[in-house]
Amino acid sequence: MGHQRLFTAALALVLTVGPAASAGATAPGRGEAGDAGPGFGARALQALLDGVQFGVIIAITAVGLSLIFGTIHLINFAHGELVTIGAVSAFFLNASASGPGWHLIPAALAAVLLGGLVGAAVDLGVWRPLRRRGTGLINLFIVTIGLSLLLRHVVLVLYGTRPGSYVQYDIQQTIELGPVGITPRDLTVTVLSVLTLLGVALLLQRTRTGTAIRAVAGNRDLAAASGIDVQRVVLVVWILAGALAALGGVFFGLVEIVTWDMGYKLLLLMFAGVILGGLGSAYGAMAGSLVIGVVAQMSTLWFPVDLQYAWALLALVLVLLVRPQGILGRRERVG
Amino acid sequence: MAKNVNEPVLLADDLVAGYLPGVDVLRGCSVEVGRGELVGVIGPNGAGKSTLAKAVFGLLKVRTGTVRLDGRDVTNRPAHELVRRGVGYVPQLQNVFPALTVEENLRMGAYLKPRSFARRTAELEEFFPVLRARRSQKAGSMSGGERQLLAMARALMTEPQLLLLDEPSAGLSPLFQDQVFERVKEINAAGVAVLMVEQNARRCLQICIRGYVLDLGRNAHTGTGAQLLHDEKVIECYLGTLARAR
Repeated sequence: MGHQRLFTAALALVLTVGPAASAGATAPGRGEAGDAGPGFGARALQALLDGVQFGVIIAITAVGLSLIFGTIHLINFAHGELVTIGAVSAFFLNASASGPGWHLIPAALAAVLLGGLVGAAVDLGVWRPLRRRGTGLINLFIVTIGLSLLLRHVVLVLYGTRPGSYVQYDIQQTIELGPVGITPRDLTVTVLSVLTLLGVALLLQRTRTGTAIRAVAGNRDLAAASGIDVQRVVLVVWILAGALAALGGVFFGLVEIVTWDMGYKLLLLMFAGVILGGLGSAYGAMAGSLVIGVVAQMSTLWFPVDLQYAWALLALVLVLLVRPQGILGRRERVG
Repeated sequence: MAKNVNEPVLLADDLVAGYLPGVDVLRGCSVEVGRGELVGVIGPNGAGKSTLAKAVFGLLKVRTGTVRLDGRDVTNRPAHELVRRGVGYVPQLQNVFPALTVEENLRMGAYLKPRSFARRTAELEEFFPVLRARRSQKAGSMSGGERQLLAMARALMTEPQLLLLDEPSAGLSPLFQDQVFERVKEINAAGVAVLMVEQNARRCLQICIRGYVLDLGRNAHTGTGAQLLHDEKVIECYLGTLARAR
């Protein structure tokens, strides 16, 4: 499939020019893999838990990337910036000296709302007019790169380079659950992430709009022929993707740290999750992201933390060698 | 709004349309479908049959010419608006949502009328019994013939007054082709006007009230189905001279 090849090429591009070069990004984790303290089994379980936690956050952001690709075949290079915008706007409302100093929960909700609005704005302001003109997919992809640069640097100017943390839930006592430990904050983030993913699944599977999204993803013209307003469905997808990316950004900023290029650094893993899971399948993006997160964290049991993304991408290559369509990508009956 | 009974359901006048800039596939093509009529469009490959269906339905931009529904100009209106105005469309290829179940396909067909979903599903399952047994099966796992029936059922969910069929028999076994044509006749008998674009010219003309022969994007011949079936020129060019033997 042509689209699929384009998407894989995009991944290669992210790899070469992208955040992989800056290995400074570390996933949430406790970086204690080298300790002599707990036994291997306990450390493995801990890494698994950290990996799941990391994976579900990637999944929240990657679902939107996958839905956008599924409905309009657009590879959204600017998706990382939607993540950053969420995290940074919550930081402004919550912890910035010039901000209102809200509690993190209303600040996060406002950030999610803003993320949805940004999603709507880029669709209405950029993508819809370009679609109407019949702009080619490659051209659109290049536009997303430009948009990514633009947004990232707007954030840089407004936010600066200093990493920041939210005011609440900063330092917490770890809860011990048998051999593994997790802070109440990280546990809450993980549970909320899983609930969000379940919510997205319910939306897609059980609601009229969700079925319409899947219908548009399956066949645009046929969706229009069924009376579905395709442009409206695409707008809904953008709002959903923007809001989910912003939520993922807040979660990522919460368990890690808020920086001006955090979303861009996460982009590679989102791409990997989407491709690993099967292009255009929302559930595939969830499963793929989970695998990426778990492999990245588990690899720190044996290998340096700096290489954890490399192992995640190796897992991607290995899975695609066996299942070129991805974990949940489907091959259809022909004829 | 009271519908003018004398007004044709569909009046496409002098349509010019195409896919690439500067290349017209339709070059002044006109088609009329009266209330409750079954109209067939035949023609050789590349004559613009499918293009005609797409242009009428708003899936392809009409460069010049007009499309009127019930006398109202709907040229270049988006497809979903035509569905609201009572047009159903079944494309030639990819005519179902493969990743959706049969039931979800029908639900999408009733997207604009979700309240009538249950009633219409029951009615159409009566009409296409094969669908009832397959409700929760993915449409992508069905055979081409079954998909064609599902596609027609999906298009009929909104109770359209006009059904556009793009080569419903393409790629089907002769047995399924007969079944599809039989179904088209029954749909028409139930009061739905049908505009059918077909490559199987003979079978199409046999069931049609009127027919058009398209050639190079223009109307070449027009007449009743029976007239065209016995027209020397049409036989020569499109039906094959063996037809005369009958």
